[in-house]
Amino acid sequence: MLSLKNLEISFNNEQVLKGINLTVNKGDVVTLIGPSGTGKTTLLRCINYLEKPDNGEILLGDIHLDYTSIRKKDILKIRRKTAMVFQQYNLFKHRTVIENVMEAQIVVQKKSKEAAYKKSMDELEKVGLLDKIDAYPSQLSGGQQQRVSIARALAVEPEVILFDEPTSALDPELVGEVLKVIENVAKSGMTIVLVTHEMSFAQNISTKVVFMDKGNIVEEGTPTEIFYQSSNDRTREFLNQFYTEKNSI
Amino acid sequence: MMFQLDVLIENLFGILKVVPQTLLLAVIILILSLFMGGCLALIQRKKIPIISSLISVMQSFLRGTPNVVLLYLGYYTLPYIVQYIVSLVGIDFNPHHLHPVITVIVVFSISFSVFQSETIRGSMHSVDHGQIEAAHSLGYSFFQTLRKVVVPQALVEALPDIMNSFLVIIKVLSLAYLISVVDIFGQAKLLGAYNFSYIEAFVAAALVYWALCSFLTLLINKFELRLRKGF
Ligand SMILES: Nc1ncnc2c1ncn2[C@@H]1O[C@H](COP(=O)(O)OP(=O)(O)O)[C@@H](O)[C@H]1O
Ligand SMILES: [Mg+2]
Repeated sequence: MLSLKNLEISFNNEQVLKGINLTVNKGDVVTLIGPSGTGKTTLLRCINYLEKPDNGEILLGDIHLDYTSIRKKDILKIRRKTAMVFQQYNLFKHRTVIENVMEAQIVVQKKSKEAAYKKSMDELEKVGLLDKIDAYPSQLSGGQQQRVSIARALAVEPEVILFDEPTSALDPELVGEVLKVIENVAKSGMTIVLVTHEMSFAQNISTKVVFMDKGNIVEEGTPTEIFYQSSNDRTREFLNQFYTEKNSI
Repeated sequence: MMFQLDVLIENLFGILKVVPQTLLLAVIILILSLFMGGCLALIQRKKIPIISSLISVMQSFLRGTPNVVLLYLGYYTLPYIVQYIVSLVGIDFNPHHLHPVITVIVVFSISFSVFQSETIRGSMHSVDHGQIEAAHSLGYSFFQTLRKVVVPQALVEALPDIMNSFLVIIKVLSLAYLISVVDIFGQAKLLGAYNFSYIEAFVAAALVYWALCSFLTLLINKFELRLRKGF
């Protein structure tokens, strides 16, 4: 479904991703965990082509591309098969909730207004925001904004949806509502790649957990394998540190 | 010397007659300067090598030269430039037939495009990058992102500056009289000379400018409120 081969990227002569190989099957929920500054965000952004990898290949549905010889129309193709949910929501501030969800369908997918409206209402119902369709983003809580941005991503029917720490910018009491929505998206069979620090959530919804450190994939496996049975020192150190920090708060 | 109210009123009506053509001229210059300014801003945003530096030089020249000088420069050179360009396609053109209104439009459009490009650049910058990335991630092309995300928000941001430049253009058009294009100021000068009533004529001109600018400010504020609804 989605497969990356030897993906490399550098910023200012510093290699941030050092040859990533990753396979995501249809319906998979793949969670990327690892210390901050490791390249998790960069990896998601490369999949969405918000960053241009220096080397490597991507297989995505019926697309197969080599990053060294990519063309403009390939970029749009990749982006139209993927959707990103950002930490900071990034809703269009000058559009209402319903307009935010409709616009890409009309502009990118060339759907009719009626069709886009219907699809948007379906998606907004799934995220529980039918009562807010005419609100502007500034009138919503962070949790509501993130739910709109999930609806916006779902509405373009991507083959993969990428979540980059979708709850990290939220007040603690709003995290639950967004995780609930993501869980429902996962249950609906959507293919997901997720970066999160919500470890128990990752354990519950992931079909595969990937531990990254310093631009490499160190280890990958089922949640049980990674969280309870890992024999890798770096994985265990990260998880231990993580739980100690969490408990000390 | 007595201030004569009836002359003032007569002059007011005389001046009001040229308000429409002054406004039309200002609107044409505003639109052309915005269009050119937008192109300049885009070129500089894309950092196209040689062209970008050429534009920087041109901008600093235009910014550093008074509009009067630019106007005279245009007045004496533009007809010959047009003659040359037209001759390239084999048409004979008498440079004395170039209407000075054309010179006014060309000179001020170019001169103001520099200010507009900076306004536009600043306002495009004010649209947060996250929204642009969101559009890209959904598959918007460069121009779709520009049209649907950047321009609508930048426009609201730029509106006060654009309005301001419109008022400045209206006032700068008083220079057009120097090359015999009659605007509000030019008309006042003509009426003053005609009636030997310069004070009344210029008071009338000042009142018209003032009323015009107040009215336009009011209009734009209303419009801005409507654009800003909600966000
Ligand atoms: N656009 C960029 N320019 C320069 N350096 C960047 C850029 N994006 C990310 N980096 C660097 O790449 C490294 C990995 O960042 P990131 O992918 O955000 O890590 P993570 O999401 O795992 O915390 C960091 O050292 C960061 O400073
Ligand atoms: Mg990150």
